[in-house]
Amino acid sequence: MDKPSHLSVVVDLSPSQWHLCGQSSNSHPLPLSAFLSQLLAFLNAHIACNDENTLSVYGALPGKSILLYSSATAVPEEFTGPADPNTYRPFEVLDSTMMNSISDRVEALTDLEQEPPIGLVGALTKSLCYINRMSNASSTSTAAGGVQGPVVLPDPRILVVSVSPDESSSYIPIMNSIFSAQKLKVTIDVCKLYGPESVFLQQAAHLTGGSYIYLERPDALLQYLTMAFLPPPAVRQLLSVPTQDKVDFRAACFCHKNIVDIGFVCSVCLSIFCQPVPVCSTCRTKFPIKTLQRLNASKPAAPAPRTPAPTPPATSLPRSQSIGTPRSSMGNGLVAPSPSRNGTSLPPR
Amino acid sequence: MPPRRTGNDYMDVDSDSDVSILDEFEQTTKAKAKGKGKAIDRSKPSKGKSKAKEQPYAWEASYTRSWDTVREDETGSLQGAVQDLIARGRRRRLLAPAAAIRRSIIRHLVLVLDLSTSMMDRDMRPTRFDLMLQYAREFVTEWFDQNPLGQIGVVGMRGGVGERIGEMSGNPQDVLKCISERHKLEPSGDPSLQNAIEMARSSMSHLPTHSSRELVIIFGSLTSCDPGNIHDTLEECVKDRIRISIVALAAEMKICRELCDKTGGMFGVAMNEGHFKDLLFELIPPPAQRALARTGGGGVSNPAADLMMMGFPTRLPNTSPPSLCVCHSQLKSEGFLCPRCLAKVCDVPTDCDICGLMIVSSPHLARSYHHLFPVKPYQPVTSLEETPYADSKCHACAAPFPSNPTQVPGTATEGMSLLGRYRCPDCHHVFCTDCDVFIHDVVHCCPGCGK
Repeated sequence: MDKPSHLSVVVDLSPSQWHLCGQSSNSHPLPLSAFLSQLLAFLNAHIACNDENTLSVYGALPGKSILLYSSATAVPEEFTGPADPNTYRPFEVLDSTMMNSISDRVEALTDLEQEPPIGLVGALTKSLCYINRMSNASSTSTAAGGVQGPVVLPDPRILVVSVSPDESSSYIPIMNSIFSAQKLKVTIDVCKLYGPESVFLQQAAHLTGGSYIYLERPDALLQYLTMAFLPPPAVRQLLSVPTQDKVDFRAACFCHKNIVDIGFVCSVCLSIFCQPVPVCSTCRTKFPIKTLQRLNASKPAAPAPRTPAPTPPATSLPRSQSIGTPRSSMGNGLVAPSPSRNGTSLPPR
Repeated sequence: MPPRRTGNDYMDVDSDSDVSILDEFEQTTKAKAKGKGKAIDRSKPSKGKSKAKEQPYAWEASYTRSWDTVREDETGSLQGAVQDLIARGRRRRLLAPAAAIRRSIIRHLVLVLDLSTSMMDRDMRPTRFDLMLQYAREFVTEWFDQNPLGQIGVVGMRGGVGERIGEMSGNPQDVLKCISERHKLEPSGDPSLQNAIEMARSSMSHLPTHSSRELVIIFGSLTSCDPGNIHDTLEECVKDRIRISIVALAAEMKICRELCDKTGGMFGVAMNEGHFKDLLFELIPPPAQRALARTGGGGVSNPAADLMMMGFPTRLPNTSPPSLCVCHSQLKSEGFLCPRCLAKVCDVPTDCDICGLMIVSSPHLARSYHHLFPVKPYQPVTSLEETPYADSKCHACAAPFPSNPTQVPGTATEGMSLLGRYRCPDCHHVFCTDCDVFIHDVVHCCPGCGK
C-alpha cells in the first residue's frame, strides 16, 4: 500500500430501514450507532494506511444526498485549539465532522408518513463528480508545469453501504452512473447490510470490477470492511476478495415481466417484449406488418423450457461462499432490468 | 476516456493554427483557404477548383488572433483567461440543439480510410497516415462505448481500388485488430472514392431498414481515380439511405461536399491535429433520424422503426468447467450461451456465429438509454440574487465557486455564466463548469434531481 488511494463512501441513512435493521428480532441486529462506530473505525483505518490517502463520505438520506466529510475541505476552526493528547488529530477531525453532520441532518428529518425514496443516485453521481474533479485538478496541475497539486488518484473507488431495497425508478440513473464509473476507471464496491439483495448494486459491482458482499453477520461489519474493502483494487488481486459469480444479465419483458431468453426489441426505444407486438407500448411506434409475419414465423413454436443456469461444480464454488451468502433466491429470480419497466416507460423528460 | 477532457482542450489551445477556436462560424471558409495555401505549397492540381471561389486567403480573412483574446487578470496571470477559453470550448458542444427526438440506436458504419500516397504528407505530425490510424483507433473505442449495439466495418482506398480491411463487426477488439497493423496498411497509389463507396455500399446492402447505414471517410487526397460516374454512385447511396460523412485533411472538394450534403452527412476540413480529432469525434453520437425520415419520403409511415429479435444470453461464471467457444475455438470457462442454439460465444453484443441471432446483455441496452433520455441543459446563472440555493459550493463536487466574477473581456457570450455557475432547471441546484460538462457528457444524470 505504498501508493495513495482515494475512497468515496456512500452511506445509506434511511431511517426506516435502519430501524428495521436494528430490531432485536433479527438474528444479528446492528443498530445505527454500532454501525457508525464500526464505520468510523474503518474510515480511520483508511486514512491511517497512507498519509496521502483521501476520503469523502456521502450520506444518502430520504429524498436527498449530502456530503458528510471530505478530506479536501479545510479543517474547521473548532479543531484548531489544543488537541486531545490521546487522539490522532485527523481521526478526531474525521469522526466529529461526520457525527456532527449526520446528527444535524437526521434531526432535521421531518416525521413523514411515507419516506421519500433514498437519494442513492444523487450520492453516487456526486461522488463521481468529486472524483472527476479531483482527477481533473491533478492532471491540470501537472500539465501546468509539475506543480505539486492535489494528490493524483491512482485507484479511485466508491464503497456503497446499503440497507435499502432497490428503487425501480432509479434503474436508468444507476446504470448511467455505472457506465460513467467505468469510464473514469472507478471501482464500485457494495456492502449490503440488510434487506433484499440489490440487483442494481450487484450489477454496479460486477461491471466496475468491484465486489458485492451481502453480510451474513451484520454485527461483524468491521471485519468484512477491513478484510474485503480496505485494500485498494490493485492489492485485491493478490488477496482473492470474494467476487460475484451469479450476476444474471437476462432481461424481463415489459409486457408481462417474464424473464425472456429471446426477446423482441423496439428499435426506437429499446423496449423488450416477449411476443411480436404490432405497436410498441412505450413509444407508440407502429411496426411494419411484414416484420411481424416474419418474426411470428421464425418464433420457436413452443417456448422451449429455459435451460437452468449451469451450476458450477461443487469443487469450484465461488469463494464468496465462505464470506458472502450464496442465497438461493439469487438464481434466476433476480434478473437485470425487471424494474426497468417503470424506468423506461417514464415519459421522456 | 471521454473525448472532451482537459487534455484535448489543451490540444486545441496549443495547436499551431493562428485561428482562435472561438470563431467557429468561419471554420469551413478558412479551412478552404488553408487548403488552398497548402495546395500552392505543394503544387498540387487543385488550383482550378479554388480559383473560382472569391474567398479571401487565410492571411486576409478577418480572424481573431488568439493572443489578442487572452488578457491578463489583475494579478498578471493568464490562467484565468486560458481556463475561460477552455471552458468555453467545452461548453460550445453543449449548446448544440438538443431537439432531435429520435436517434438511431442500431448503427452500422463503414470507416473508409484513405491509404493513398498523399497520406504520407507530413503537414500533420508525425504523418497524416499515422495520425489517422491513431485517431481511428480512438474513434472506434469511443464509438463502441457510445453505440454498444453498433457495428463497424473498415475499407481502405489505395492503388485505385477499394480494399476490404475489416468485415462488419460488433466487437471493438476485432475492428481495432484490423487497423492495428501499420505495415499492412502502408499507403500506395491513388485513392478511388467511387470504388470504396461501392464496396461499402455492397457490404451494407443486406442490413435491415431500422438500422442506420453510415460511411465515414477520412480523405487526404485531392484527387479521386474513379472507373465510372461517381454521381451515379451518389444517387444509389441516396436511394439506399446511406449517410456519408467526410473528414478531409487537405482541402474541400466539390464532390466530397456534395456527397455529404445530399446524403445528410457532415463534411469538414481538418485545420490541424486537434481539429481533425474534433471533426472525427463529432461523428460519434448517434445521428438524429430526422434527415433519414425526410429522404425516405415513401408510403411507409415510419421506415426506421422495426421490431428486432434479440437473445439474452446466460453468462457462464469463470468457475464453470471450460469448453470451446464458437468464435475463436479456444478453451475457456467464461462465456455466454446463445439462448437459441446454446453455442458459447466469448463476448456480447454479437451475432451468434451459429444461428445468427443478435445476442445482447441488458446493460448494453441500458447504455443506450441516455441518448433517449438526456439531461436537460443547465441554465447559466447570471446574478446571485435570483438563486434559490445560494450555496457557495458546487452541489455536485463541493468545490467552492470563485468568489469574484472572472473579468475577461468579451466573456458575456450566450450560454456562459460569468460566475461559473449553472443551474438545473428542474431541481434548481447550482453546479460548477466542470461538473456541468461532466454531467452532460459522461454521467447523463443530474445529481440534484437524481434522474
